[in-house]
Amino acid sequence: MRSTRTGVGVVTALAVALGLLAACGDDDEKSDGNGDAAITISVSNLPPETEAGARDAFLQRVDEFEAANPDINVEPDEWEWEASTFAAQLAGGTLPTTFEFPFTDGHALIERGQLADITTEVEGLPYAADFNPSVIKVVQDDAGAIYGVPSAAYGMGLHYNRAMFEQAGLDPDDPPTTWDEVRQDAKAIADATGQAGYAELSQDNTGGWVLTTLTYALGGRMEDGSGDNVTATVNNPETKKALEMLKAMRWEDNSMGANFLFDWGGINQAFAAGQIGMYISGSDVYNSLVTENNITADDYGLTVLPLEGSDSGVLGGGTIVGVNPNVSDEERAAAVKWIDHFYMSKLTDKTAALADAEALAESDAPLGTPTLPIFDEQRLAESDAWVADLVNVPLEQMMSFKNSILDQELVAEPPVMAQELYAELDTVVQAVLTDRNADIDALLETANDNVESLLDAN
Amino acid sequence: MSSRSQDSTERTILSTFDWNRSRVRRAMRTAQGLVLLVLLVTSVGPILWLAKAATSSTQDTLRTPFALWPSGVDSENLSTAWYQADISRYFTNTVWVMLGSCAVQVLVATTGGFVLSVLRPWYAKVVTAAVLATLFVPGVVVLVPLFLTVLHLPVFNTSLLNTYWAVWLPAGANAFNVLLVKRFMDNLPHEVFEAAQVDGAGPFRLLWSIALPMSKPILGVVSIFAALNAWKDFLWPLVVLPDVHMQPLSVRLPTIRETVQLDVYLAALLISLALPITIFLVFQRLFLRGIGLGGAVKG
Amino acid sequence: MGAATRWVRRGGLSTLLMSLPLLLTFGYFAWFPIGRAIVMSFQKTNLVADPTWVGLDNFTFVLGDPRFWTSVRNTTYFTVLALLFGYPVPLALAVLMSELRRAKGLFSMLAYLPVVVPPVVAVLLWRVFYDASSTGVFNTMLGWLGLGPYPWIQSRSWAMPSLVLQATWANAGTTVIIYLAALSGLPADLYDAAEVDGAGVWRKIWHVTLPQLRGILLITLIVQVIATFQVFTEPYLMTDGGPQNSTTTILLQIYNYAFRFGNYGAATALSVLLALFLAVLSAVYFRVTRSWSTT
Repeated sequence: MRSTRTGVGVVTALAVALGLLAACGDDDEKSDGNGDAAITISVSNLPPETEAGARDAFLQRVDEFEAANPDINVEPDEWEWEASTFAAQLAGGTLPTTFEFPFTDGHALIERGQLADITTEVEGLPYAADFNPSVIKVVQDDAGAIYGVPSAAYGMGLHYNRAMFEQAGLDPDDPPTTWDEVRQDAKAIADATGQAGYAELSQDNTGGWVLTTLTYALGGRMEDGSGDNVTATVNNPETKKALEMLKAMRWEDNSMGANFLFDWGGINQAFAAGQIGMYISGSDVYNSLVTENNITADDYGLTVLPLEGSDSGVLGGGTIVGVNPNVSDEERAAAVKWIDHFYMSKLTDKTAALADAEALAESDAPLGTPTLPIFDEQRLAESDAWVADLVNVPLEQMMSFKNSILDQELVAEPPVMAQELYAELDTVVQAVLTDRNADIDALLETANDNVESLLDAN
Repeated sequence: MSSRSQDSTERTILSTFDWNRSRVRRAMRTAQGLVLLVLLVTSVGPILWLAKAATSSTQDTLRTPFALWPSGVDSENLSTAWYQADISRYFTNTVWVMLGSCAVQVLVATTGGFVLSVLRPWYAKVVTAAVLATLFVPGVVVLVPLFLTVLHLPVFNTSLLNTYWAVWLPAGANAFNVLLVKRFMDNLPHEVFEAAQVDGAGPFRLLWSIALPMSKPILGVVSIFAALNAWKDFLWPLVVLPDVHMQPLSVRLPTIRETVQLDVYLAALLISLALPITIFLVFQRLFLRGIGLGGAVKG
Repeated sequence: MGAATRWVRRGGLSTLLMSLPLLLTFGYFAWFPIGRAIVMSFQKTNLVADPTWVGLDNFTFVLGDPRFWTSVRNTTYFTVLALLFGYPVPLALAVLMSELRRAKGLFSMLAYLPVVVPPVVAVLLWRVFYDASSTGVFNTMLGWLGLGPYPWIQSRSWAMPSLVLQATWANAGTTVIIYLAALSGLPADLYDAAEVDGAGVWRKIWHVTLPQLRGILLITLIVQVIATFQVFTEPYLMTDGGPQNSTTTILLQIYNYAFRFGNYGAATALSVLLALFLAVLSAVYFRVTRSWSTT
């Protein structure tokens, strides 16, 4: 009697104690055991259930792909890029086979060996030679090997609230075309509405991103050289000029409102709530403003950034689709097939473009927000024309951007340690906006030294 | 005089005599009234404001934060948050995290405390010291190595990333719980255990039929704080649950801030408050006693 | 064989099995990571390739980083402010509350309520309160008194006190309850004796209450210092270290090293430095609790 009791107790304790840990050991086996012919790949950015229409559209494209490639099995995943957890997910084996990430991180990922080399696979694609040279550069290493496929590109633009322009007695169809006008309009809006006439991103590396944008627009650059010989040029006269403009708007005009700590989502939220007259962000931000912040479409306006001075240009960015470095050759080939099917065919094939657009339009997902060419302008115009009838965004309110953006010189983000450089500049932007006595020269000097020492350590 | 001091073990700074002095009494009453007012404003005020703002429109909250529903009650925010912003899912995740870590912590604390206090095998001293030692090392300091351990669990050769085990199991390694239970069991009458052993009860029976029933109060304290801490935890689940589907509310709320309008966001905050506050109001006594018991040791 | 059987018979095996939950969880998630922290602080790893030994590089990198001293300064500032805000207030509240003849439970419940609010919710809510425009929640309230608008977290000099104010609101309840428990345990005859000597209310507080609370006061002091040196959620969610690094704390710096810039070596090196410092504090704390619990 007694011994059976003890026996039961022992077994229970064993089960509990070992079961605790053993229970977690069973998910790894699946990914290894590909005994049969079919290849399984997981793909990122499946829209969440809350965006039912877009999700259905995505799943439909998956079905099409599986029908066309019976030996490939696709597992869609809601995975979204998060710089802070990427390395951990790669190491922890939870990264999907293909995943999207921003241009900004391209070089860092390539350098750290965190992307698969897909040169052979990409060169097999019919349009491989047609990529815009400045765009394909962001997915290449110094030797020219390809580590990803650029799938979408944007240029920075000036987003503005048309209703607030009207309230301030400004013409919303005639947005500012010089930085002086930006400053004047911001002041007019602030005076008339009591809100921020102009607001600036400043947190989570976005402060550096927009300061770099301003610098490019005035003709400056943040880094100089290439390869291992890159030096920081953060303390250039154009960056200084940009900061002085911000300082004047903040402290002389008082036209930037009262809140200065904005990250990407935070500034979108404030803009959609009518608290901001103008701000700078990527040209595709309208998609988020619609799906996430419920913006009033009539109030939205988009124009190009004023470019002043020689060598000035607009900062461009975009989305890269990469492949997990820890997958087999077959999986890698299947991954590139998926990238071709899902991301690229809508830019290169009319039927695919229409199918994609119809699915988006049906689900009321925004379609037609201006983008920049991945290949060349002609091809972009072509693919835009295929779906022109289905566009559901207020395109006429974005025409001053669309009409002029292709005439602006596109400048890529700083090639080396872009995020670290941006983080350093966040500090500078925050200082100028929150400290009346901020010494711009000293701040830039320090920032430059810090970036320089990071580059040296690299 | 002396007779009063014997029965008044509960007496405080002010004596009955002090209370009878009208000046003292008036000052005291005023001070206590003020305390009540301050506590009401600071403790309940923010929650009431949140409840109001969660049912107002975004523009009302932004323009006139203290006006009471100037453009009507917007009760849809709560359902929008619950369904559209998927708060229901994160709420369920949080409950799941809470139940699991509660179970693991109670299991480790009871078995561990029992072994170290009652069974006392030869290695008990070393283990107790090693458990005690972890109290000296603040949790955050092992953040990165603990994270790497979870990424690749030695011997089992598996990754716990994106599984709830990654939250539950490390929660079990809580020295405070083990020592609390151990100390409690130290004070149980040892004759009972000895008598049972003479009757032939094995370790498991001692734990199950004797130690556990007598330790109910301390187990209540351990589990209630485990539950509450699971609700509060932020940094660790943020790091080990990158999969949005698995994240608890605390991890998800900061991201939701950017993806919904202010009114829906405030509604989401209100929903996240509901369960912890309910748990607290229901188990109030257990809470307040628990802090008195071990709060000082907690750190 | 015989000895092993005897060991099992005597319950040695059951005892060991029963220790397993503790040994496994602590082994995997406490003891092993602590050892590993020390090893890792001398290594460089990108999580993909094998780690390489780099000697003291991580430590020199961390100590040479201009943000190291910024974060140490900020963390110390936070701790000092948290003591200034959060030390006398709970004591005064507890003394007043201990004099209550009724409704003590209601008062305790109210005082503890903010502690129950999950920190993330509290911080995010206060971030809304701290809206710096004149229609922000706090600025509206202060506007009634003709004050403000104040910049709150939007200014280098205001940001840290704003964080501390929120943290104090969130944590003071625990301390109040601890003091209350300690106050109710004070021996009554000391007050009686003081009264015999003709002591008034203030003298009783000064000569009896406070000296008697000395032990618990010291403990809460150390606990608070240890806790505030690990402050993370507040600066991370409220300001992300800004404006201009004025709220970058040590823990935020560790997080940034590891999870923003993938420098796990630097993160552990800084962690080890912080651990050494806090271990000294903890040791003091244990000496104090031990001597306090024996008296």
